[in-house]
Amino acid sequence: MGANAVTTVYDFVANQILTAAQMDNVNCGIPVFATTVTRDAAFGGAGEKTLAQGQMAFIEATNTTQYYNGSAWVTLAATPGLTCVKAETTVTATNSVTADNVFTSSYTNYLLLINYTISGAGQLRIKLRTGGTSASTNYNTQIVEGNGTSLTTSTAASQTSYIVGAFGSGLEAATSVQLFGPQLAKATTIMAGNTAANGALTAPLYEQWYGNHSTATAYDGIEIFTSGTNWTGVYAIYGYSKTL
Amino acid sequence: MSIYKINDNGIERAMTETETTEFDQTLLDTAKDQAAIEAEKKAKSQAKQNVLDKLGLTADEIAALLS
Repeated sequence: MGANAVTTVYDFVANQILTAAQMDNVNCGIPVFATTVTRDAAFGGAGEKTLAQGQMAFIEATNTTQYYNGSAWVTLAATPGLTCVKAETTVTATNSVTADNVFTSSYTNYLLLINYTISGAGQLRIKLRTGGTSASTNYNTQIVEGNGTSLTTSTAASQTSYIVGAFGSGLEAATSVQLFGPQLAKATTIMAGNTAANGALTAPLYEQWYGNHSTATAYDGIEIFTSGTNWTGVYAIYGYSKTL
Repeated sequence: MSIYKINDNGIERAMTETETTEFDQTLLDTAKDQAAIEAEKKAKSQAKQNVLDKLGLTADEIAALLS
């Protein structure tokens, strides 16, 4: 039991003479208990407060802060908005990358971030995977490209993969890919935004590929490949929290 | 020995013979996909240029209009 741990949460009465130990006890902020057992024993006894909603406690054994909601103790924990489901992975002069078992029912929507350069001319593309096999049909996308003074649009239906990056030839580029429900047995909406450079970093350009993979299949993984000679960079995949 | 390299769930290795055959097909498919996109872009660009030619705008005026 640590120096701040208490065994009683006092309930004083009028005109009671308080000891230094009692004053130290009430001056310690959130009461600290060695375990949940000593916590439970500290309320409701003779001279102790009755446990009620809003009571706080710190448990040394687990280093957790808790509050009492009126019927049970609840541990305070921040739920991150994004959880990494595929740790940042370094890719060096590689044609294709696979990441399986990353899409699960724990999350509905996912974020794929890729920092990359491409050797040779070509795009960075993705395919969704299930059971270790990449799907090679039914990728559809609306393309918007801002390059210099030119803003162009085009549509590509029934493609064999989905473009998520381009113009990364030898110059640092990055793309952000949002995947909506890839693990659900229905069409997957995909939004990719790419920033690269047109021959020099002082000539940035952007491209957006908004579309879908229209096959109603539940996928658990992804392939990232280039139609160029190879690609180098890092990627990571995150799941968006579904709860507060 | 494959000319292609794969990062297979974090492990860098050469592609197997089967993977190499599949990836060759992927590259062929991708080239066709990209050709279709470029053809559509070219057709749209040409259609736009035809309209601009009809309007008789100068190159500077066209750039200002499209920027």
